[in-house]
Amino acid sequence: MLASVAQPHGDQDVQPLLVVRDLQAYYRTSHAGVRRGIRAVDGVSFTVRRGEIYGLAGESSSGKTTLIKSIAGAIKPPLEIVGGSMEFAFLPGYGGLHRAPRAMVERIRWRHLSYIMQGSMNVLNPVRRIGSSFIDFAYPHIGGSRKQFEQQVVAHLARVRLDPSVLSAFPHELSGGMRQRATLALATICRPGFIIADEPTTALDVVVQKEVLGMIRGIQRETGSSVLFVTHDMGVHAHITDRLAIMYAGRLVEEAATAEIFGNPLHPYTKNLISSLPRIGEDAPRTGLGGAPPNLADPPSGCRFHPRCPLASEICSRKVPVMREARSGHRVACFAVNGDDPA
Amino acid sequence: MNDLLLDVREVSKTFVRGRLLSREKIVAVNKVSLQLAARRPEILAIIGESGSGKTTLARMILNMETPTSGRLLLDGTDLATINGSAGRLAFMHRVQPIFQNPFESFNPLKRVERYLLMTRLRFAGTAGGSTTAEAVDAALHKVGLSLREVSGRHPHELSGGQLQRVAIARALLAEPKLIVADEPVSMIDASLRMSIVNLFRTLRDELGISIIYVTHDLATAYYISDRIMIMQKGSVVESGDARDVLKAPRHPYTYQLREAVLLPEVANVSANATSSMNGLISPGTPERRA
Ligand SMILES: Nc1ncnc2c1ncn2[C@@H]1O[C@H](COP(=O)(O)OP(=O)(O)OP(=O)(O)O)[C@@H](O)[C@H]1O
Ligand SMILES: Nc1ncnc2c1ncn2[C@@H]1O[C@H](COP(=O)(O)OP(=O)(O)O)[C@@H](O)[C@H]1O
Ligand code: SF4
Ligand SMILES: [Mg+2]
Ligand SMILES: [Mg+2]
Repeated sequence: MLASVAQPHGDQDVQPLLVVRDLQAYYRTSHAGVRRGIRAVDGVSFTVRRGEIYGLAGESSSGKTTLIKSIAGAIKPPLEIVGGSMEFAFLPGYGGLHRAPRAMVERIRWRHLSYIMQGSMNVLNPVRRIGSSFIDFAYPHIGGSRKQFEQQVVAHLARVRLDPSVLSAFPHELSGGMRQRATLALATICRPGFIIADEPTTALDVVVQKEVLGMIRGIQRETGSSVLFVTHDMGVHAHITDRLAIMYAGRLVEEAATAEIFGNPLHPYTKNLISSLPRIGEDAPRTGLGGAPPNLADPPSGCRFHPRCPLASEICSRKVPVMREARSGHRVACFAVNGDDPA
Repeated sequence: MNDLLLDVREVSKTFVRGRLLSREKIVAVNKVSLQLAARRPEILAIIGESGSGKTTLARMILNMETPTSGRLLLDGTDLATINGSAGRLAFMHRVQPIFQNPFESFNPLKRVERYLLMTRLRFAGTAGGSTTAEAVDAALHKVGLSLREVSGRHPHELSGGQLQRVAIARALLAEPKLIVADEPVSMIDASLRMSIVNLFRTLRDELGISIIYVTHDLATAYYISDRIMIMQKGSVVESGDARDVLKAPRHPYTYQLREAVLLPEVANVSANATSSMNGLISPGTPERRA
């Protein structure tokens, strides 16, 4: 982890950039007369501090993208915010982007907050050349002469190792990794105070990935911005995030400084996640977690991990464990760690 | 019977890109050859730079792109000679794709289960007793999903990992001999990733399916593949036994790749804190393996 330099870490009196409280975000669908609610985010609370890279990992379909979409205000039916709030320092009093007036949100986008969606094609207009996308989105915020702007774009592309020739290409003419880097460049060129990124480096080879992470870290340091970073790649988390939260079946199950999560994982799901990682040179067989991922339309009672948990006891299927500080700065939701919680 | 399932002979692919006056020729794949034996199913990993032509090579093997030069043969038949819908169907029966970005590879307007049921119906010749829905459900169970869970949903109503698992299930429905998987696990969590690569191994050992596994994940490539091929700028720079190549790389690029793997552990923070001058992470951070 490269973190923790010149950052107001642990400095709780600085107002945090984002406070998420008891957020519930459900997909409400009806198919062939059957209505169902998918409880993709179900009671999530956390804080993103100023100048930190906050990581989010967790099982596939555990609700990471839904959480991120909710925070970024990308809420379209059937997704609904059912409860809770998301308070941004730069947008006080609204409880979330989705509650703020549209014009205000437009002003904030790209400049204060940029959101890199999973699948990354989405922001690049498929029928516009890459260069035109930069002019459409970034030029209005940066201004100056067109020539200066172009120079700035070219310099910025170089930081993600892209040749200026990509500016005249259409998105489909680029490889997946080149598209991802173009998207990242677009999302960071205005140096926003808050960058939300969902799997932004999945299509990159490890050499380029390392450089791109360095670029994100560099911008984050230069501007003191905060980053909310979702990835399945635990190596990336170990390398770039300051704090890390683990999500399982719509809830956070653990959160701590990244070094602490790797060095001293407490939740049984986190432990399995970390021990399942293979390494070059190690030949021992590795198995994934047994049992099927939970169906969020009908999640298990109590602790949602209990059907797959080696430590499950009777209480686990009855009561929902809450996130509690087990050690300083290390929160976990598990009866085996915290004991039975009378609250 | 042919000895080779797949025979790729010196294929190249050139693209022309850009506006009329500033046209640019891009050699996406440059004289690449590779063979897969018919009787000895194997997992071949292809690793390489972003933009080094892996997807283009995969698309040529899938007969979705024609090579600029060179030939590709499946069971001794030149892919260039395949035509007509019957010929294409027979080809897809043998070779199935899993694409890089599931969000781009599914038709957003089509419900997922219809897609799977139609796929099964098209290949139903080998159905062997089970109903179409049962076969689809069984394939979904292999990847940790069920028909009940996906039915009624459109692709965008599934998570990235779920959609990628649907794509794998769909490929299994054709009961192919060769699966060409382009970065199939990059959107899947580590635990499920291991379940899926273990599934690849089972497919190889029990169903005799060969797998071309394009990935950036060197650790899983080491873990499951028999052979490995390293690509850079359209060319193969090193290939051989997966373990040998990754343990003792010969080509500098392979070495550079191996050294850039980010390990899932956090080393001494203070030792790292001095890096990153111009935003580049210093090339000698100690969290890496020696
Ligand atoms: N538009 C939608 N309509 C209905 N359900 C949805 C929709 N989008 C996602 N879901 C469901 O919500 C749950 C959480 O999905 P989400 O995309 O948030 O997961 P994720 O943690 O980002 O997973 P991954 O790591 O695989 O991307 C899943 O069960 C998914 O099927
Ligand atoms: N349809 C296309 N038109 C023009 N150029 C393309 C097209 N598809 C790929 N390319 C180019 O070919 C090169 C290799 O791309 P690709 O095979 O997707 O790489 P990889 O999968 O290894 O990341 C890249 O430079 C890319 O921009
Ligand atoms: S609360 Fe119980 S079931 Fe849940 S993780 Fe802890 S021990 Fe396992
Ligand atoms: Mg997601
Ligand atoms: Mg590719």
